[in-house]
Amino acid sequence: MKPFRSSDPLAETASLRQALFLATGGGITIAGAWLLFDTYRRDEFTWLEGTLLALFVVLFGQIAFGFAIAFWGFVTRLRGERFQIMRSLDGHATDAPPGSTAIVMPIYNEDPARIFRALENMLVSLRATGHADAFDFFILSDSNQPDSWIDEECAWVSLCSRLDAYGRVFYRKRRVSLNGKSGNIADFCRRWGKRYRYMVILDADSVMAGETFVRLARAMDANPQVGLIQTAPQIVRGTSVFQRLIQFSTHTLGPIFAAGSNFWHLAGANYWGHNAIIRLQPFMEHCVLPELPGITSADRHILSHDTVEAALMQQAGYQVWFATDEPGSYEEGPPNLTESLKRDRRWCQGNLQHFWFLFAPKTGFTNRIHIFFGLMAYLSAPLLVVFIALNAVDFYAKERRAILSAQIGGLTDTWWTSLLLLGLTLVLLFASKVFGLLYTLPRARRFGGLWAVLAGSVIETVSSVLLAPIMLYYYTKFVVLTLLGVKVTWKTQNRSDSAIPLGQALREYGLLPVLGAVLTVATLHWAPVLTLWLSPLLLGWLLAVPFVMLTSSDRLGQWLRRRGLLLIPEEINEPEILRGLDEPPPALVRPATLVATPHYGLLQALLAPFANAVHISLLRRSRVHAKHKQDYLDSLAARLLADGPDALTRREMMALLWSSETLAALHRRLWRAGETELHPWWRFAMRHYHEAHSARHAP
Amino acid sequence: MGEVISPMEGNAPSFPTSVLDAWNEAALRLEDYLRAHRVRDRERLLRLNLDLLDEAHRIHAAEPGRTPLDVTMELAADRIEAWFSRLADETVPSDSQLAARARGAWFASGLHREWPTAFLDPAPPAALVAAVRSASMQAGPALEFSSLIRAEVDYGAMENLAEGTWQQFSWAHVLRAFVIWVAIFFAAYGAYLQFFRQP
Repeated sequence: MKPFRSSDPLAETASLRQALFLATGGGITIAGAWLLFDTYRRDEFTWLEGTLLALFVVLFGQIAFGFAIAFWGFVTRLRGERFQIMRSLDGHATDAPPGSTAIVMPIYNEDPARIFRALENMLVSLRATGHADAFDFFILSDSNQPDSWIDEECAWVSLCSRLDAYGRVFYRKRRVSLNGKSGNIADFCRRWGKRYRYMVILDADSVMAGETFVRLARAMDANPQVGLIQTAPQIVRGTSVFQRLIQFSTHTLGPIFAAGSNFWHLAGANYWGHNAIIRLQPFMEHCVLPELPGITSADRHILSHDTVEAALMQQAGYQVWFATDEPGSYEEGPPNLTESLKRDRRWCQGNLQHFWFLFAPKTGFTNRIHIFFGLMAYLSAPLLVVFIALNAVDFYAKERRAILSAQIGGLTDTWWTSLLLLGLTLVLLFASKVFGLLYTLPRARRFGGLWAVLAGSVIETVSSVLLAPIMLYYYTKFVVLTLLGVKVTWKTQNRSDSAIPLGQALREYGLLPVLGAVLTVATLHWAPVLTLWLSPLLLGWLLAVPFVMLTSSDRLGQWLRRRGLLLIPEEINEPEILRGLDEPPPALVRPATLVATPHYGLLQALLAPFANAVHISLLRRSRVHAKHKQDYLDSLAARLLADGPDALTRREMMALLWSSETLAALHRRLWRAGETELHPWWRFAMRHYHEAHSARHAP
Repeated sequence: MGEVISPMEGNAPSFPTSVLDAWNEAALRLEDYLRAHRVRDRERLLRLNLDLLDEAHRIHAAEPGRTPLDVTMELAADRIEAWFSRLADETVPSDSQLAARARGAWFASGLHREWPTAFLDPAPPAALVAAVRSASMQAGPALEFSSLIRAEVDYGAMENLAEGTWQQFSWAHVLRAFVIWVAIFFAAYGAYLQFFRQP
């Protein structure tokens, strides 16, 4: 196996490509700015126009550089790409075991059934490669919901028992969830990082094929100068309309943008935080997250770690690559717009924090661009709002002036330039979709046929037009809240499907139609032409509630699928690694009578000898038995039995679950207690547990 | 006192109905508990049930203030914990953590299926003991600690600028300035009303 060829041609190519990329995006931006300036200079150039022009350059630049990525991506797809990290494996088949790799999955209250079923598929798939011995799995739990914790433990033991995977699949529950996901990974590195050469980071909804793990480790083996390889995970398994739109979009447009990104950054790629392989030694030496400048410790903590880690890896002299075409890497999308926006709220705060690295002297060029794009992804929303508002003021003032001085001819002269500029903007906005379509059409059979691709593209385009104004409002809100210092906490992402009912849609999005209606009336009254210009924005806001409800619907999503619309190749020919992910592992199959019972995990931990034993044996024995602490736990235990689980807060339940002695005592007390001593919830739970148990099998 | 019922066989004493109900409750709970330990062999289940109930009767006779359920289940829990504890390590006294580890292995490694009649056997098969001791729910490999040192990043001029601002910034200054400007505004407005306003 030959390492990736010398870095000089790579550096030369990267330099040339970056020049081409900047020239494309910059040239278009200058052309657009000139067209706008041309409309302004006919008259007296005012301060307002100057402000508008400055805002335009920033906003139009973003569209122009988006186009540049898509354009060069399309060109690359047509020509083929010589510089792809995974091509360093071509023609070098080997049976030697790859470097030792830890596959690490930090989790936080996500669905244990889905997590462990995916782990099972990945383990089976790895074993099929014959190289499973080089890989260990680590489930790193920060779950703080009692039920999730117990379910995770039972599912882990069950998986290890069924697949004989003790010593290969490990489970760690942190007592203190310090610094969220990045803290969880750092904790892993501190304890076990030295044992492995590489680490693959997975999200709770990630799935990767065994062959992909092996190939990534081999690519790292073959290229010692590479510190990180990011795969391009395919979004799959969507059921709601929203998910199906995202997955169709990422399947049709994703390859174009991935190729375009790789075109300009080559060995200076970004890291997305999951579905990537990392060389552990430099990661532990150089990529431990620094503190940001700030007053409080919360200000100093980096929320969005991935981009910073990629930058630090490159500062340390290692390459970071984007494996654009590596198959077998998957993730899932949020089920509806609300969940997607929750994620954006976190990302927004994280990306804005990266501002500090933009001006750090040692930040590399490509990292600076990644950081700038990441910032602008959110900052452009409030800037666009300001731009629209100032434009409306400018337009109204000019119209009034024209009416008063009868300068109709003057306005008409600039009209054509304005139309040209609008046309250019629309071309830039929709060109990437056209490139994506052109790239997908020859592969249309994999997407359900030519008509399915065309219809899917139309649906996706219309949806994105309606979605953009909603995102504009929320991104603006997120930026303002972040700048005002309103913090977000690390919330569990709801990765399961959930339809948004009318009440919730009105509560969350009801302001938008009101805003749309007020703006429509206002523009119709004062400047009717503006209504036409703003119509995409107004339409998006006016239709926000039904749009959000419809896109959250599973039934409609399935209807589209049955009609062959928005199909992706993984739905037509499902890969082995994605099969059976909806079936819960045997340990998590609940008795029919207890399916809807809340606190089922707690019930298991206290009542079931198996779950109780597993949980206690995974806990550390208390070293110090402080009397006041034991009294507190005893009082919680008494309340739990007498008043039921609802009488305890989540924190109180977690306190009980962390005490092995109290858990063992509670198990005994529960089995010894007469029916009259127990809260009705326990009587119900015990009765159904016993009934179900006589018919159930061992885990 | 209810009607006195004689047991059909065995040497258990005669009970009034209310007491019999209490013993029935204890017997049922005991059976549930044994079933929860995956004792699937019917004969083994019955023998263990009777054995434990006989013992519970003897204890209850000495401690009549306790309920049959309490006596029976405490006895069962003690005996099970001691048995698992011995399976894990016979050299140390009964211990709940040790017992939990062995009990976990009993379920997780499918030992209950492999030795369906061995549960609570005072002389468990050597192979079972070996299987329990070798089965480990290994939550993680051996620790190999590394110390991670935060990366030092020079944030450049922006950091200096920001830190200068943070050090000098104080809400008290803002409040003072606000009060001064409000006062100036009202003073100016008062002066305007007083001196320049047309009558």
